[in-house]
Amino acid sequence: MSSDTDLAPVSCYLDEETFRLSCQLFIQHSSSIKDGWSWVQENASLEGYMTKTVVVAGKTALDHCRNGHSHLEHEADAMSVVEQQVDDEEEAPGQQLEADGHGVMRYEYHVLYSCSYQIPVLYFRASMLNGRSLSLADVWNSVHPSYIKRLLQEPWDTITQQEHPLLGQPFFVLHPCRTEEFMRPALETAHAQRKKVNYIVTWLSVVGPVVGLDIPLSYATAVGAPSLPDLC
Amino acid sequence: MMADDKDVLRDVWFGRIPACFTLYQDEITEREAEPFYLLLPRVSYLTLVTDKVKKHFLKVMKAEDVEEMWFEYEGTPLKWHYPIGVLFDLHASNTALPWSVTVHFKNFPERDLLHCPSNSVIEAHFMSSIKEADALKHKGQVINDMQKKDHKQLWMGLQNDKFDQFWAMNRKLMEYPTEEGGFRYIPFRVYQTTSDRPFIQRLFRPMSQEGCHQTLGDLLKEVFPAAIPQDDEPKRYQVVIHGIEPMLETPIQWLSEHLSHPDNFLHISIIPSPSD
Repeated sequence: MSSDTDLAPVSCYLDEETFRLSCQLFIQHSSSIKDGWSWVQENASLEGYMTKTVVVAGKTALDHCRNGHSHLEHEADAMSVVEQQVDDEEEAPGQQLEADGHGVMRYEYHVLYSCSYQIPVLYFRASMLNGRSLSLADVWNSVHPSYIKRLLQEPWDTITQQEHPLLGQPFFVLHPCRTEEFMRPALETAHAQRKKVNYIVTWLSVVGPVVGLDIPLSYATAVGAPSLPDLC
Repeated sequence: MMADDKDVLRDVWFGRIPACFTLYQDEITEREAEPFYLLLPRVSYLTLVTDKVKKHFLKVMKAEDVEEMWFEYEGTPLKWHYPIGVLFDLHASNTALPWSVTVHFKNFPERDLLHCPSNSVIEAHFMSSIKEADALKHKGQVINDMQKKDHKQLWMGLQNDKFDQFWAMNRKLMEYPTEEGGFRYIPFRVYQTTSDRPFIQRLFRPMSQEGCHQTLGDLLKEVFPAAIPQDDEPKRYQVVIHGIEPMLETPIQWLSEHLSHPDNFLHISIIPSPSD
């Protein structure tokens, strides 16, 4: 069979069981390095998702938003949304937009499985500690500058607000349309080297940093792939 | 049968719900706000068809008292990104018409509702549903083979209530290889108000391995078995699509082709049977 597996195309898609098992292995390593990930089971049918909450101190979005909008102007949708959000933004009493830009934010990350696209999807939401939710404009402005250009040039990487399919609440989602484009090279390389990769580790290491989620390097070496029949 | 089937498509598209919009009592007005009556298209979205509602209430309000408009029914914020007909069937189908909806311009419920700052957000949401439906039906091949102007035609058809313009394109999304007998998977969502979970969506093939047409009953058996009435028991739930209860024996492939919303999803509401 070995010659057959050499020729078989690598699937860039993930079935639900592999998703679940890959997440479990990911979480095992997370526990060992106290990285904070856990699994939430929705009901008896094994459906669930992986989640982590991070509290970050740092610049609030809005201290440089007025200046930052010029580079968003050629992306019409982002422009209208961002401008509208900023114009409509109502400051909660006591929540100041300080010139030095300090603010403490709570980010919640959820990794869910999409059965329609057969890939994982990253959902996140953020709020100030006083409960005020971050708007789409806030989120765009808290993305690291080196990723903003990429996000604007490649609409498939756009961040939009969507309903969380299990919680029914608004979250931000990094669009999964072109997951295959960056997963394929990684999966093919591993396949050629007869190594198995953990799909979730590879995928999250690419998409996570775009939205402020750090994936320590130890995941890449320490986390194995679930034992499954050959991908074909 | 073709003529009857086309009638079904028109009946679905032109379905309307009479609604009465009343301003929330705590909104600040310069004079009394009269309620506003409107016929809502079942297959459209609240924020797409309520410009007149906004204009009506803005006449009695100061600009500084007006933020993003949102709607609520008996204390429940209404999700604009669900088709209007689904919201009605789910929340108000066994109540007297017109549907009484409360309008708010303050205190947007951030934890419950998506923001809708412009029509392009509605368009993006609509097209995203269509793409997801095609991913399920055809692995995305039909929608990806269409040009950008074809995508635009689907949206413009919905926005401007143009049945022929919409279906000229949408019929391509309803085709399938004859030898397959149907779509790869049926795009559907099952809604109910009694759980925290907003909807149930799962992979479901319209044709069984033996080549049999799966029915609505077969789908419910897998996804919401409590909706299937047991022999001697009274019916606990109503299974509602576009305000009607299709027979459970109806082939799911036929339902998907004829009773889907313009977003290409079959939206199924499960509501407790009214007690007499």
